[in-house]
Amino acid sequence: MPATTKTNFQLVVNGLLNENPIFRLALSMCPAVGISTTVANGLLLGVAVLFVQVFSSCTISLIKDYIHPRIRIPTYTLTIATWVTVIDLVLAAYLPVAYKAMGIFVRLIVAFAIITMRLEVFACRNTVTASFWDGIGMGLGFMFGMVTLGAVREVLGMGTFLGYDVIGFRPLLFFVLPAAGFFLVGFMMAVFNYVETVYHRRAKRGA
Amino acid sequence: MKEIIKITIALTISCLVAGLVIGTTFLFTAKAKQQNEHLNVQQTMLGLLGYGKDKPAPPALKLHSIHRYILQDAEATRMGYIVPVRRDNGEGFTLVVLDLKGRFLEQHPLELTAETALSGEDRKKALAAVVAPSMVVSFADTAIIACREGKREAYLLPGEFPGFKTFIKAMVAVNADFGMLGLEVIEHEEDPGLGGEITQDYFKNQFVGKSFETLKGLKVVKEPLPPEYERYLESLGTADGELSEQEIAEMERLYREKDIYALTGATISSAAVTNGVKAMVRKFAYRIQILDQAVATGDIPILF
Repeated sequence: MPATTKTNFQLVVNGLLNENPIFRLALSMCPAVGISTTVANGLLLGVAVLFVQVFSSCTISLIKDYIHPRIRIPTYTLTIATWVTVIDLVLAAYLPVAYKAMGIFVRLIVAFAIITMRLEVFACRNTVTASFWDGIGMGLGFMFGMVTLGAVREVLGMGTFLGYDVIGFRPLLFFVLPAAGFFLVGFMMAVFNYVETVYHRRAKRGA
Repeated sequence: MKEIIKITIALTISCLVAGLVIGTTFLFTAKAKQQNEHLNVQQTMLGLLGYGKDKPAPPALKLHSIHRYILQDAEATRMGYIVPVRRDNGEGFTLVVLDLKGRFLEQHPLELTAETALSGEDRKKALAAVVAPSMVVSFADTAIIACREGKREAYLLPGEFPGFKTFIKAMVAVNADFGMLGLEVIEHEEDPGLGGEITQDYFKNQFVGKSFETLKGLKVVKEPLPPEYERYLESLGTADGELSEQEIAEMERLYREKDIYALTGATISSAAVTNGVKAMVRKFAYRIQILDQAVATGDIPILF
């Protein structure tokens, strides 16, 4: 893939919609299924991923000319692990409440496919600025996916939204369990695909 | 050959840089992190004793920790307790050594201050200085004794026990007669919505007010939680006066000696917590009695 020709704004939208990590690229499905049980969880993990993605993308695009092609992946992993550790330490020190809820999941970000994939596909071929905006887009896209899943699962499974009771009873406990995560991701993918089809059809007709 | 050298150098440099970044962050955050953890534990402990935002702990309340260690060498296994003591120049710590029958053997003053006693590593160093080099020292557990004006008010027992999936970390508060004051689940990995409900007030507050005698025979019953009892449990500790005193007294009379109502769909988690709490309190009641005897025999000026 050659260097990108998209504008910064297009890069962000690209991460949010066209190449949404969860619903379009189908990457990082483990956290999408396992952790998105509540809105707060999804939001916190989304923010952590956003930071890791932006920092790692910038680092890799900065040093891309010095990375030996044979040890690309180890270098990516090392970069991601470094930033994850830094964020883990900072969270534990300055946001203890959030850390208490998210502690073990933050460390898992090292293994998230989306981050390595973005470094390999985008950051090592583009400028720092483009990588920064791509990181923002991907991070926001992931956060958007997690929050959407979290909202549906929390409202339907626990009857609450962000911890506040909105329904007053629990409609379907099933939605909190991991299996429901898979179903929901499937449904959301279908929605995204449908919207895309409709959009293309309209665009064609317009042209 | 040339390539492999290049790769080695590149990887070494990357690792060093990564280490440097992590190390620097650690330096800046370590202190805040430790303080947070300490504060967190402190808050949980005070919360269990019934103090919180709207009811600050009285300054006369002192929390003393006693740490239990197992001392092992080729000949014998012994129990060692690190206890806070009164010294001529203020307060210090002493290691009390008991044999397995609970008889007092010896005591050693320890080089520990109130700050260093909080860290497990510093305690271990201090212990290594006084016990025979052949002894293997291993940490067993900690108990916290809350005292007010020289009288024991409550015991706080941090501990862990097996749950449905993995270990559940919890802290139990009992009064001087080992009656339950409260239960706080600190860490668990039970299923959300099922076993995860052990953190909810309507489950954990069922333990509040159970006497030691009731606790010893406590079981789990698979019955639905009566709604008025649930309302009472939810209101515990919130102090918003939703229930009248008469109602509270009635609830206490009705349910004080009842078994624990299992969570719907999580009987195993409920039973695990009940048995875990039971075991923790029973063991502690036995141990503190033996320690008190030993302290009396050894004539140690303990602070609690």
